[in-house]
Amino acid sequence: MKHTLSILLQNESGALVRVAGLFAARHVNIDALTVAATHDPAVSQLTLVLHGDEGTLQQILRQVRKLVDVLDASSLSVVGSGMRSHLVATPA
Amino acid sequence: MTTPMQTALAAPTIPTHPLAGQAMSGAEIVVQVLADEHGGVVFGYSGGAILPVYDAVFRYNAEHRDAAGHEPLPLVVPANEQGAGFMAAGYARASGKVGVALVTSGPGATNLVTPIRDAMADSVPFVAICGQVPTSALGSDAFQEAPVANIMGACAKHVFLVSDPQKLEATLRTAFEIARSGRPGPVVVDIPKDVQNTTLKFDGNSHLPIPGYRARLNAVAAAKLGDEACASLFTALAQAKRPLIYAGGGVVSAAAAPALTTFAETFGIPVVTSLMGLGDYDTTRPLALHMLGMHGTAYANYAVEDCDFLIALGARFDDRVAGVPDQFAAHARFIAQIDIDPAEIGKVKTVDWHHIGPLVAALEKLTAWGRSHAFHSDLSAWHAHLAQLKHDYAMNYNRDSPLIQPEAVIEAINRQTQGRAIVATGVGQHQMWAAQYFDFRAPRHWLTSGSMGTMGFGLPSAIGAQFARPDALVIDVDGDGSIRMNVGELETVTTYELPLKILLLNNGVDGMVRQWQKLFFKGRFSATDKSLRKKDFVAAAKADGFEWAQRLERKADIETTIAAFLAHRGPTFLEVMIDPDAGVYPMVSPGASYAQMITGPFIPSRSAPITPELAPTHMF
Ligand SMILES: Cc1ncc(C[n+]2csc(CCOP(=O)(O)OP(=O)(O)O)c2C)c(N)n1
Repeated sequence: MKHTLSILLQNESGALVRVAGLFAARHVNIDALTVAATHDPAVSQLTLVLHGDEGTLQQILRQVRKLVDVLDASSLSVVGSGMRSHLVATPA
Repeated sequence: MTTPMQTALAAPTIPTHPLAGQAMSGAEIVVQVLADEHGGVVFGYSGGAILPVYDAVFRYNAEHRDAAGHEPLPLVVPANEQGAGFMAAGYARASGKVGVALVTSGPGATNLVTPIRDAMADSVPFVAICGQVPTSALGSDAFQEAPVANIMGACAKHVFLVSDPQKLEATLRTAFEIARSGRPGPVVVDIPKDVQNTTLKFDGNSHLPIPGYRARLNAVAAAKLGDEACASLFTALAQAKRPLIYAGGGVVSAAAAPALTTFAETFGIPVVTSLMGLGDYDTTRPLALHMLGMHGTAYANYAVEDCDFLIALGARFDDRVAGVPDQFAAHARFIAQIDIDPAEIGKVKTVDWHHIGPLVAALEKLTAWGRSHAFHSDLSAWHAHLAQLKHDYAMNYNRDSPLIQPEAVIEAINRQTQGRAIVATGVGQHQMWAAQYFDFRAPRHWLTSGSMGTMGFGLPSAIGAQFARPDALVIDVDGDGSIRMNVGELETVTTYELPLKILLLNNGVDGMVRQWQKLFFKGRFSATDKSLRKKDFVAAAKADGFEWAQRLERKADIETTIAAFLAHRGPTFLEVMIDPDAGVYPMVSPGASYAQMITGPFIPSRSAPITPELAPTHMF
């Protein structure tokens, strides 16, 4: 199953490497990744797409939340269809 | 007495640090924060990129020596930084305090990688401070530059590269906070040399914000076990006829051993512990079943097979315990789990009930709830069953052999130490014999590399423990392969005049690997025979300054030699030539269930003995 994760990250040195490294170490492949600035220059927003079952998703989310520089991590699911579809955070 | 109201009103005023506002170099700030947050022994090896800090420690100690001449931050220098790392870890494991290592850049830092990963895997509070090349040289392949943040980032709980000198002090304090809070772990602080040399203003209390980490930590710390959750757990317990507690290393970290003892004994629930949990519950008490798992006691493993209710406390169903998760405690109709780490809940085994929060509060609440509801369940049949298991499947070994059996040596020591010695180990068969045949009456007496299984851990971690507990009897139980890995630290023992006792169980082989080769590789002993090695360990110990260094070769001499070994006041080194063929039993082979446990030639088995297929196993 395809999942989209949203991670809010403090802009500390090495923070992105730690997130990417965690996925690699836990053998979860990142299919797509975007990093965007937020209104707060000290915080970036990461959006990741990955494949895996629900258990893998839950475990990786919990592991991500153990990273010190992670402010928040949640899974997004697609709501609606076509032009009007949008992503909403689901409590995981 | 303060009422909750008063505490709420009195805003927590943090007293100003007496040195607040003073100008200090970065290096002096490092030392001042060490004095404030740690105030104990620092293990480390100097070098170019950390010289300013070593100089500042020297000056600090010279200025703050007490009347008896003791230094507040003694520097202990190992033979290798890996030794320093395991000493810091041993110090932390034996005391519960944060261990500190201080090393230079490049090779100094990379030599620490193994101890840092080891501390992470066993949840040991640790702060490692590494020198780094100057910020202007970062990324230039400079002399002794290593990408410490990248390397350690993958191994540690957290790593900081201090590129802004203004954040140095806050970073160091925060490193201690992260190392000791929540599920403890190692934090690495990488400090470029120019940052150490910058003149800064000392604050005395600054911390980094880390809002995400703190918010999650506070949420877990505040999580209270409610009455409803207690009621549902006790409802399941009331229906259970054969309840069992499975306690792990989290009980040690949380200082929850007394709360566990009260909980277990109030409701009569027997206790098995993991390798990391030895000491959670006094192994000499009637409800204790000692260790479960791959090399657990047969009666502990059978108890897991037979239980119908299991509560895991600070334990994580690791593959040495639940090699086949589906078949682990397969008859348990209810599995409960309490842990401080949300990621451990249901990670391996689905649980019916869980609580994420501090263990002491949770156990005290459960005990109080059960008492106030006069909870009672008649477990006498279960207790009788377990007493029978303990009797019928007691630990045993080849007592009639003319060769010295390692188990007999450990039993002889245990008769004298009575579960009160601090025992460190290497990794291999000797580690498992020590786990099986020693008693442990309290936590922090058992120092072993559980999750990483790092050979070479024993000697340096015992050294660290002896520094943490100068008056305690500390014994390193080591193997000939393991001790070689950090054998340079023998000299550290005598240099610092530590009264450490080193027991080397020499079987002339990499015994544990050989045991697997015997079972799974048709006895092809590839690269595990060490009998042609030339090392004379006793001579080596003498050369390193051990006045008491002996070899034990005759079975008849065990008692007298052990007595002398323990009685000598200074450091002692005893090499025991043991049966090279002695095996570790019981053994749950990788991929097998507890019911299929091999109990070996000297312990009876409940099922027909299953000979493992002599086929290469893909399990590890
Ligand atoms: C650093 C390291 N390298 C390799 C191993 C794999 N290994 C596990 S036990 C063992 C043999 C240990 O031999 P020894 O210390 O003599 O103990 P024994 O099993 O003979 O008691 C080896 C090589 C390991 N655990 N750690």
